Amino acid sequence: MSHDTSVAGAGVEVPTRVVPWRTLLRVIRFEKVTKTYPGTGAPALDQVSVDVEKGEFVFLVGASGSGKSTALRLVLREMRPTDGRVYVAGKEINRLAGWKVPRLRRQIGTVFQDFRLLQNKSVAENVAFALEVIGKSRSEVRSTVPETLELVGLEGKADRMPDELSGGEQQRVAIARAFVNRPMILIADEPTGNLDPTTSVGIMKLLDRINRTGTTVVMATHDHGIVDQMRKRVIELEDGRVIRDHAQGVYGFQH
Amino acid sequence: MRYVFSNLGQGLRRNLSMHLAVILTLFVSLTLVGLGLLVRAQAEKAVDQWGSELQITAFLCRSDDPDPNCQSAVTDQQKEEIERVVEANPEVESYYFESQATAFAKAKELLGPDEADRFEGPNAILTEDDLAESLWITLKDRDEYQGITSEIVGLDGVANVRDQREVIAPLLKIMTAMQVGSLGVAVFLVVAALLLVANTIRLAAFARRKEIGIMRLVGASTVYIALPFLLEAVVTALVAVGLSVVSLGAFMYFGVEQRFTDYLGFIPWVGVDDYLLTVAVVAVLGPVLTLLPTLLLTRKYLKV
Repeated sequence: MSHDTSVAGAGVEVPTRVVPWRTLLRVIRFEKVTKTYPGTGAPALDQVSVDVEKGEFVFLVGASGSGKSTALRLVLREMRPTDGRVYVAGKEINRLAGWKVPRLRRQIGTVFQDFRLLQNKSVAENVAFALEVIGKSRSEVRSTVPETLELVGLEGKADRMPDELSGGEQQRVAIARAFVNRPMILIADEPTGNLDPTTSVGIMKLLDRINRTGTTVVMATHDHGIVDQMRKRVIELEDGRVIRDHAQGVYGFQH
Repeated sequence: MRYVFSNLGQGLRRNLSMHLAVILTLFVSLTLVGLGLLVRAQAEKAVDQWGSELQITAFLCRSDDPDPNCQSAVTDQQKEEIERVVEANPEVESYYFESQATAFAKAKELLGPDEADRFEGPNAILTEDDLAESLWITLKDRDEYQGITSEIVGLDGVANVRDQREVIAPLLKIMTAMQVGSLGVAVFLVVAALLLVANTIRLAAFARRKEIGIMRLVGASTVYIALPFLLEAVVTALVAVGLSVVSLGAFMYFGVEQRFTDYLGFIPWVGVDDYLLTVAVVAVLGPVLTLLPTLLLTRKYLKV
């Protein structure tokens, strides 16, 4: 593994409050994380140790069932690891109290393959929804939403309904919603899975632009073309284990 | 906040039939609970007036008593003798004398403030002297009364003995039956209401699962996600409480005030204070019955 873990590995003995400064730069840190789903034999993640630094762009690749989604769900604290520690934004989140989880998620934007837009709300309302439900003021919503829509290339489409948009445009809405709160981390779970190659390139350019604003992007994908083209860090999982971690990788050696 | 309120209206409209079912069930059960409480208050009032099933009353002689047992008004010496006999009797739990003044006050209270002037002046329908001084004896056992009754009946100064059970027992029986009946039915309806609330939440959570999923992802707090559900519960509870308060009020006004008091004026009837107490109980019970399952289930369905 190219990122060594020994420097901040002192975290094993150090209590959560005294986090070594290097962990702060590491926005995501997995420390020997194992996740076994109840009732299944083999673990979904097996002793995975990974560091993601601030501002990085990371591809998470691997076959279905290799543990990509499990890793992303652990970052979102949708579940806790069976063993090991997960740090996000300098906090050990498996020890995080339940009521603090919303605060954690406000620092993480999420994008999915199936867009997950509210069909009965317009583009602007969908984006505004993310701000409204975390209690942002109306004036803040009114100024931030158009700005973000422009950033993702949807200016002039604020009042459209999701079903009037193409798949690529819908994914841009979803990205706008994930990014409107200016999160520290953007998690994308196969964001191009439902899109054609040309549209996918547009989405990747957008994610790259967001990455350049300093947001850490973690993207799980099957799309070889995109991974090979972007030349970003690639972490490959197989049967819950990290089998490859290349700073400027391609999807797989065999291609 | 704006989102919460627009959602509240939306949620109430979307699940209208379920909310109506909750409201109606809750309304009927709260009204029955209220009726049960009013009947209970009524029974207490009757007991205050006539004494409980355990009591027997010995009326003592007054001056000009038409009762053949009396020669003249009861003397202090006779009273001491009576007291001594009562004290010595093993069937007696406790006893007290009720003066003519107290009996007069009770009679006035029974007829209410409107009639108060009829008790005053030279043409009063009733004066203190018309009422007998009495001895109220509480028994240890409701079935052990023959000894004490026969003992005091023969004493000088005692006009007659009234066994309260003859008067009040049938009345109390009816009231107990009404109370048990209304509260029993209310319990079943309350259970039905709780289940309906639970189902309503399940449906609402299912209908809004996508929104809820997104809210969770973008970091909306649990309170924020659960708030529309809690508000819906409060609104349905308040509507049900309102309906039940109105119908209990109608019962009090059209039933008790306008009918019973006229025809059955010899009984002291429940009044505004009893009604207000009942309303208070209903007003607390209603929201509790909807909020409790809502709080429990939102924790289950909306877990972050």
